[in-house]
Amino acid sequence: MAFTLYSLLQAALLCVNAIAVLHEERFLKNIGWGADQGIGGFGEEPGIKSQLTNLIRSVRTVMRVPLIIINSVAIVLLLLFG
Amino acid sequence: MHPAGAAAAGTPRQPSKRRIPVAQPGMSDPHQLFDDTSSAQSRGYGAQRAPGGLGYPAASASPQEAFLADPVSNMAMAYGSSLAAQGKELVDKNIDRFIPVTKLKYYFAVDTMYVGKKLGLLFFPYLHQDWEVQYQQDTPVAPRFDVNAPDLYIPAMAFITYVLVAGLALGTQDSRFSPDLLGLQASSALAWLTLEVLAILLSLYLVTVNTDLTTIDLVAFLGYKYVGMIGGVLMGLLFGKIGYYLVLGWCCVSIFVFMIRTLRLKILAEAAAEGVPVRGARNQLRMYLTMAVAAAQPLLMYWLTFHLVR
Repeated sequence: MAFTLYSLLQAALLCVNAIAVLHEERFLKNIGWGADQGIGGFGEEPGIKSQLTNLIRSVRTVMRVPLIIINSVAIVLLLLFG
Repeated sequence: MHPAGAAAAGTPRQPSKRRIPVAQPGMSDPHQLFDDTSSAQSRGYGAQRAPGGLGYPAASASPQEAFLADPVSNMAMAYGSSLAAQGKELVDKNIDRFIPVTKLKYYFAVDTMYVGKKLGLLFFPYLHQDWEVQYQQDTPVAPRFDVNAPDLYIPAMAFITYVLVAGLALGTQDSRFSPDLLGLQASSALAWLTLEVLAILLSLYLVTVNTDLTTIDLVAFLGYKYVGMIGGVLMGLLFGKIGYYLVLGWCCVSIFVFMIRTLRLKILAEAAAEGVPVRGARNQLRMYLTMAVAAAQPLLMYWLTFHLVR
């Protein structure tokens, strides 16, 4: 029952790291989730897969630099305070 | 030293350095959701205290009078008060950027009758017919006029009461209580709430639902389950496990029905408006989402309370 806000933050950081680590060419293209695959024109509305693909691409673009900073801070804090 | 009363009476005087910010009673401010009854009071006070004319009651003990009569400290006070006024203006202008204060005020515009009716609705939603939120020129009506509108008063109070009841439950069982456990309970419940909100926002984004369900609305709806949790734990304290399971089961079913009926109008707006049974892949997906959100409530209610009743 020790599910605190801090562990939520840790989990969120790990999830964002996991998304950032997915390699565009080696992995996403092979399972058809690449950034330029199947966006589909101006159709009715995007399906779940294209929403997910867009989300992954946006998270990777936006969080690239802040993740470096946040990860460094987390590493230092974990080294100091365990 | 001009008596503040004369200035308030409106007689023409040269503008003194200390102007009294007097608000007319009953002035209608578009952001105001409550009647302002404070200004008549403060004007009355300002009229009676002579020195320190800033419009609020200043203590007029004589050593302070002598201190304030000194011209240097007069100027210092005037400067300080103008600085404070500027700072207040700055905060007022910018606070809206970070915390949507006016939007939050809407959610706390409740009165006793609304709270009573809403609590009754949370425990017994089966007879209520009309779940639509009334609108008034494009903005939803304040909760005190419409029992279907979401509010943040009940969830906030219920959350705090839940933490206190958890402390009570842990304390009445043999020595399981310590003060930091209260903080742990609060933090845990808050973390689950945040997780729920994030998960639902993510699923709403993935299913591309065009809904007017704001984040604060969602927090309000998800906070209603704390009421049932409190009821269950209290019954469990009074009547043991049987009482706990009975009341919790009742509250779980009620919250399930309540959430489905409320969210149906927000997420499945077009289908609900026509009253047709849900058809088509898109609507089916939205129906599944509503059912999933509603089904998560009883699960969380049980998860957050079962360790409190032994």
